[in-house]
Amino acid sequence: MGGFGDFLIQNLGDFWTYTGIYNATWQHFAMIAIGIFFIYLAVAKEFEPMLLIPIGFGMLIGNIPFNMDAGLQVGLYEQGSVLNIFYQGVQQGWYPPLIFLGIGAMTDFSALISNPKLMLIGAAAQFGIFGAYMIALALGFDPMQAGAIGIIGGADGPTAIFLSSKLAPNLMGAIAVSAYSYMALVPVIQPPIMRLLTTSKERVIRMKPPRAVSHTEKVMFPIIGLLLTCFLVPSGLPLLGMLFFGNLLKESGVTRRLAETARGPLIDVITILLGVTVGASTQASEFLTLDSILIFGLGALSFIIATTSGVLFVKFFNLFLSKENKINPLIGNSGVSAVPDSARISQHVGLEYDPTNYLLMHAMGPNVAGVIGSAVAAGVLLGFLL
Amino acid sequence: MNKNKFGILSMLLAVVVAFTSCKPAVEGEETGSKILINEILMTNETNYQDDYGMHSAWVELFNKSYGSYNVASHLLKFSNTPGDTTVYFIPKGDVLTLVPPRQHTLFWADGQPNRGTFHVNFTLDPTKESWIGIYDGGNKLLNEVTIPANILAADQSYARAIDGESEWEVRGAGTSEYVTPSTNNYTLDKNVKMEKFQTQDKNGVGMAISAMAVVFSGLLLLYIIFRTIGKISAWWAMRTASKAKGLNEEETKEAMAKGATPGEVFAAIAMAMHEMQEDAHDYEDTVLTIQKVERRYSPWNSKIYSLRDLPRK
Repeated sequence: MGGFGDFLIQNLGDFWTYTGIYNATWQHFAMIAIGIFFIYLAVAKEFEPMLLIPIGFGMLIGNIPFNMDAGLQVGLYEQGSVLNIFYQGVQQGWYPPLIFLGIGAMTDFSALISNPKLMLIGAAAQFGIFGAYMIALALGFDPMQAGAIGIIGGADGPTAIFLSSKLAPNLMGAIAVSAYSYMALVPVIQPPIMRLLTTSKERVIRMKPPRAVSHTEKVMFPIIGLLLTCFLVPSGLPLLGMLFFGNLLKESGVTRRLAETARGPLIDVITILLGVTVGASTQASEFLTLDSILIFGLGALSFIIATTSGVLFVKFFNLFLSKENKINPLIGNSGVSAVPDSARISQHVGLEYDPTNYLLMHAMGPNVAGVIGSAVAAGVLLGFLL
Repeated sequence: MNKNKFGILSMLLAVVVAFTSCKPAVEGEETGSKILINEILMTNETNYQDDYGMHSAWVELFNKSYGSYNVASHLLKFSNTPGDTTVYFIPKGDVLTLVPPRQHTLFWADGQPNRGTFHVNFTLDPTKESWIGIYDGGNKLLNEVTIPANILAADQSYARAIDGESEWEVRGAGTSEYVTPSTNNYTLDKNVKMEKFQTQDKNGVGMAISAMAVVFSGLLLLYIIFRTIGKISAWWAMRTASKAKGLNEEETKEAMAKGATPGEVFAAIAMAMHEMQEDAHDYEDTVLTIQKVERRYSPWNSKIYSLRDLPRK
């Protein structure tokens, strides 16, 4: 009986070493608190709930402490574990292009086609990426890491994940969480900058209503867009190829079922997997480092630079435009590709100063151009640095 | 108008030409095939040993692509006498014939094919000019190399300076280069690109300028093309309208200008009409007419008792 009792005690003792309570560190609790905060932001404040709920809950999943030496194959970073298998889509970079397929299938580019000069605002706002790149270099990150961090300024989660998985896989968790967090915080970050950089006269500029776009133009856009951008930057092919393909499914008018699948069930499934695994990748041991804090700071800066450069570019561009063709600089912020949030911000801020001036349709132009621009910028960084 | 059309077409053509590569699709033998002969050692005294512990001559193949390549069913041909070619058929069914991306595989030229898949049925003689070729299953030449007579001493190899590239050199004893069986001929021991960035562009200004230039030119091109397409589209719409109505260009422009009422106006008119119709209906009857219909059950009003014939099941 004594031997059996010892066996039971030893068994329970062994089990105790496997529990989360035994293996917990303060870092785990810190990350769990951040995860709960994300869920709070999503539920109570409705900040990007589609992203913050999966990411926040993924943070809880990824930070349940366990005995890492036991080879239980439960952790995200343990090869062969279920979470690790889900994580392959992030690590190998095939979730982001599938998300882009869905984005393409749900995006209406007609605002951009009807007023193509708005594309240049989408290009100007990408300066946020390279501004953050320069600051990251100054802070001591190597060029590849700096490139991966800079892409946060593109305000495009899938692009940030895609690029960081190639350039700096060890920083991917921090970069992805930072990108999505700031995308959720666009309503907080952008309006003060927009107000600061514009005059009251500029804020009430009325833009010409967009012209009607023919079906042929809508079909030609993804084809020409793909050929032009990918011939120039082939390294952006996975993202741009899928974006334009999704858009062709939508605009061709003959592949409705495929378009509906791409913008519905498919993007939902991938968003769930991407969000949970990105959240779970923030395992305390990998995530709570000085680098992560720096990345968060740089992410905020890159958003600020991107918004600033978008608004200032419109002001500069207006110098060359006739009076009736002037652009309201309040749509400059939407050059960052947080679709459609940043366009919505343009609309809200615009309505504050003129309740009859609806900027949403105009802001959607640079907004979708920002999606293309950030994917091109990611391709350029890959081509230059890899 | 014709001048405009010509200008637009020329611009589109210029863009297409600008995007067309001036490089030929196949540049000699080197770019056509994924599998290449990469290094040959003819006299093996102290070099690499095979699985039997023997020092034999060897031929190294290199998969230059970024996908796996299976050399099974391929033919390795050798000749050092005109009109006399030995052919070795690389057997099927050996998983090791799958060469991983950018990797190498070695064939032992010991004339003993019974020793396994990677032992060929010929030997090499450095005193004679030797030709080696690899052919696919359809007997199409993929790659070939001719090794001049008497250029290789013992333990020296004839190899590409960089894997998959066209320049060949003698390596091994007495030279500054190593013999590299089953591994890279040229080893990258530093990230040249990264070092360049770190020394030439410490603060990232160069990267920012060049990358922004690319992003801008990409979207600028899109802008130019869609501006042109928009103009063509508007012109086409006008042409179609003028044809349908039998008007000339000026009359059509006038008619189209008249019809260029903003969408909001139509939306407002539609909404007003809708409201008017709905209102008329609403004011017609403002009394709720839902009444409870009582149907008290009784066997006398039951439908089943009023049937003369029961339904057949």
